[in-house]
Amino acid sequence: MLKHTFAAGLAVLGLAAGPALAQDYPTKSIEIIVPSSAGGSTDTTARIFAEIAEKKFDGFNFVINNIKGSGGQKGFEAIARAKPDGYTIGMVFTPQLVAHIVSGRASYTLDSFHIMGNMGEDPALVAVPKDSPIETLDDLAKGDDLTVAVNGIGSDDFIAAKNFEDAAGVSFNLLPTKGSTEQKSAILGGHVDASFMNLTQIIGQHKSDDARIIAMLTRDRSDLVPDVPTGVEQGYDVLMTATRGFVAPAGVPDDIAARLDEVLADVMADPEFTQKAEASSIYLLPMSGPDYLAYLETLQADTQKVFDAAPW
Amino acid sequence: MEYIAIVLAPASLLAILTGTVAGVVIGAMPGLTATMAVGLLVPFTYTMDPVLGLMLLGGIYAGAMYGGSIPAILLNTPGTPAAVATALEGYPMTRQGRGRLALKVSVVGSFMGGMLSALVLLMFAPLLAKQALAFGPAETFLLALMGLAGIVSIADEDTSLIKALLAGVLGMIIAVIGTDAMSGGLRYTFGSINLIDGIDFMPALIGLFSMIQMLDIAGQRHETTIDASILEKAQKSEPMPKGIARYMALGSGTGTVVGVLPGEGATIAAFLSYNFAKRIAGVKAKFGTGAPEGIAASEAGNNGCVGGSLVPTLTLGIPGNSVAAALMGAFIIHGMIPGPDLFAVHADKTYPFIYSLFIANVVFLIVGISVAPYLARIALIPPAIMVPVISAFAVLGSYALNQSVFDVYLMIGFAFFGLILKKIGYSLEALILGLILGPIAEGGFSQGMIIGKGSPAIFFESNIAKVMWVIILGLLTPPLVAHVRRMLRR
Repeated sequence: MLKHTFAAGLAVLGLAAGPALAQDYPTKSIEIIVPSSAGGSTDTTARIFAEIAEKKFDGFNFVINNIKGSGGQKGFEAIARAKPDGYTIGMVFTPQLVAHIVSGRASYTLDSFHIMGNMGEDPALVAVPKDSPIETLDDLAKGDDLTVAVNGIGSDDFIAAKNFEDAAGVSFNLLPTKGSTEQKSAILGGHVDASFMNLTQIIGQHKSDDARIIAMLTRDRSDLVPDVPTGVEQGYDVLMTATRGFVAPAGVPDDIAARLDEVLADVMADPEFTQKAEASSIYLLPMSGPDYLAYLETLQADTQKVFDAAPW
Repeated sequence: MEYIAIVLAPASLLAILTGTVAGVVIGAMPGLTATMAVGLLVPFTYTMDPVLGLMLLGGIYAGAMYGGSIPAILLNTPGTPAAVATALEGYPMTRQGRGRLALKVSVVGSFMGGMLSALVLLMFAPLLAKQALAFGPAETFLLALMGLAGIVSIADEDTSLIKALLAGVLGMIIAVIGTDAMSGGLRYTFGSINLIDGIDFMPALIGLFSMIQMLDIAGQRHETTIDASILEKAQKSEPMPKGIARYMALGSGTGTVVGVLPGEGATIAAFLSYNFAKRIAGVKAKFGTGAPEGIAASEAGNNGCVGGSLVPTLTLGIPGNSVAAALMGAFIIHGMIPGPDLFAVHADKTYPFIYSLFIANVVFLIVGISVAPYLARIALIPPAIMVPVISAFAVLGSYALNQSVFDVYLMIGFAFFGLILKKIGYSLEALILGLILGPIAEGGFSQGMIIGKGSPAIFFESNIAKVMWVIILGLLTPPLVAHVRRMLRR
């Protein structure tokens, strides 16, 4: 106990210089940088993770630090800049993480991170007003003049809509909004013909028949709305989802990085974690570090194509 | 009836009391927001009884909306942007030793607004929500225009119309900084990541209100000695001004209507109510120099938003503002998906929650009335202590919101910039109106033009739009006529 306190004291004073060893790790609290405001969905994901990880692993203590702003860019940069000693990790979300790289605004690249793995997702979809004559993606593809709402420029909705335009050979009257609330009221009020958005944002309205989801932009149908066909089923190969994963700054010692990856994987396999995530409408999509990195690289290439065609 | 019994159970009352008092404190602290508090507490309510959790959060929402007016009146530091209009009348009253009355008017106004809007939520929620959906981006533009019409009525004997308009435009220009929502392009950010989201309102408001005030006081040649008669006055209880209920009713109605509209906030509701009150009261009410009528309307207006904003939130799952969005998270976490189910399957939780809002209003009314005499004494603190303490709070408040040192510089920059403008006779009120309403107007206008496929006809088509144009003209005509008269007299 005394030794433990002493070590912690040294660490606090900044005297414990040399690289930390995995068997002692962690000797102090680990900071999780959350690049969005407290109380949001990404923040809730981080807090549930911290709660379960502290319960499961002795000596692990987490402090959440919300660095919001600029579509996550401030927070992503803070993670990339952090000292790679395993005492700062962070959450990232797509496609903003790669969109900032593509638009040339970010001071980081994917190489600035050790990718720990993905945790959750919010799949993209196409929704229409309840009385809309548009019933399938084919109907949507017919209308060159349709007004289609997306969340801001460079968002997942925007990139999905651009990819769909490309696949269907149409050009929409795109309406950028300041978030899902505006998209929802535009759909429910019939101010737009369709909206590209995410499942958590409109599932309630779909179930209460205030709006209609006509396609899920996922590979398989969602268990939550099994009656809705996917875009692929309807012949449009447009896939999009908003992922939320964990990363550490690049350069974290290998043994500590391995330990962090293990903590993440273990927490995600925990039934209590699954249950809490479900209650908070967080859809889990476990991906290992290498898998998630591969996903991010593909996404970056896709986003680059959209950006090159119509830069923002 | 059984729902009322649930609300009156000791545990429920305790939850409402705790939430409301905590809300008042949070609202009174610049830098802490109800959105933040509700958002952080939502995961904690997971293990609580759903009804109790929701009551706690509802209390925070109602309490915080009122709490914002306390520092606005006493220290010229609005705790939330929604309390800006309150500060315009409240602080002058404090300087005149009428702080206690200002606090009383504010709490009673908030109470009235809160009660009416909760009543509307209880009785007409599903009906109103469907109507509110007709309100699209084009109408949002007109609503912002209605608020901006207030700039014209700022011009009076002392401020020229040109200077008021210029200040308003300046505010809108400052609000242009940041990401253009329509193209994704960056405007005037000069490569700084701190400017990508634009200028945050709170540091700007703290700079333009409290910091300027402190610079002003510190810059006085002679230390103003405390007048003994002011001290006495602040202790004396003044009766409520006659006819003030009219302004409270006006604010409550405006606030509730604006609150029901998806995405509109308490700030615009308070400004609109304030402006309506100013029009009705005319010159004799001396708006801008400490008119209790202004406080009554503005506070009733922003608290009217509480119940109003929950109408689309609970019935359609479209949060009326950011606090309502956080609150919606609490419903979802307990498996209560907003929609018709909330009023049928989950009626045993939803109705007690709505009833609890009435109690929350009563709680802050009692708290507000009973602490007003003590709080009013803050005005008696000598400048030598007041200036450093408030300046420290101004710095803290600007930093705390985004944990950003940049925001502190921004606050100081706004203070000096605002002081210069004020000295050469430009209206800061107009600047703030432009700063806050400019982006709303821009968003509504650009979206309206996109939906209208490039034709401005969309701004005149719907019946709502036509009624709004009539109101806008009604707001603009009297001050313009008065202005022309003044010109001719000269």
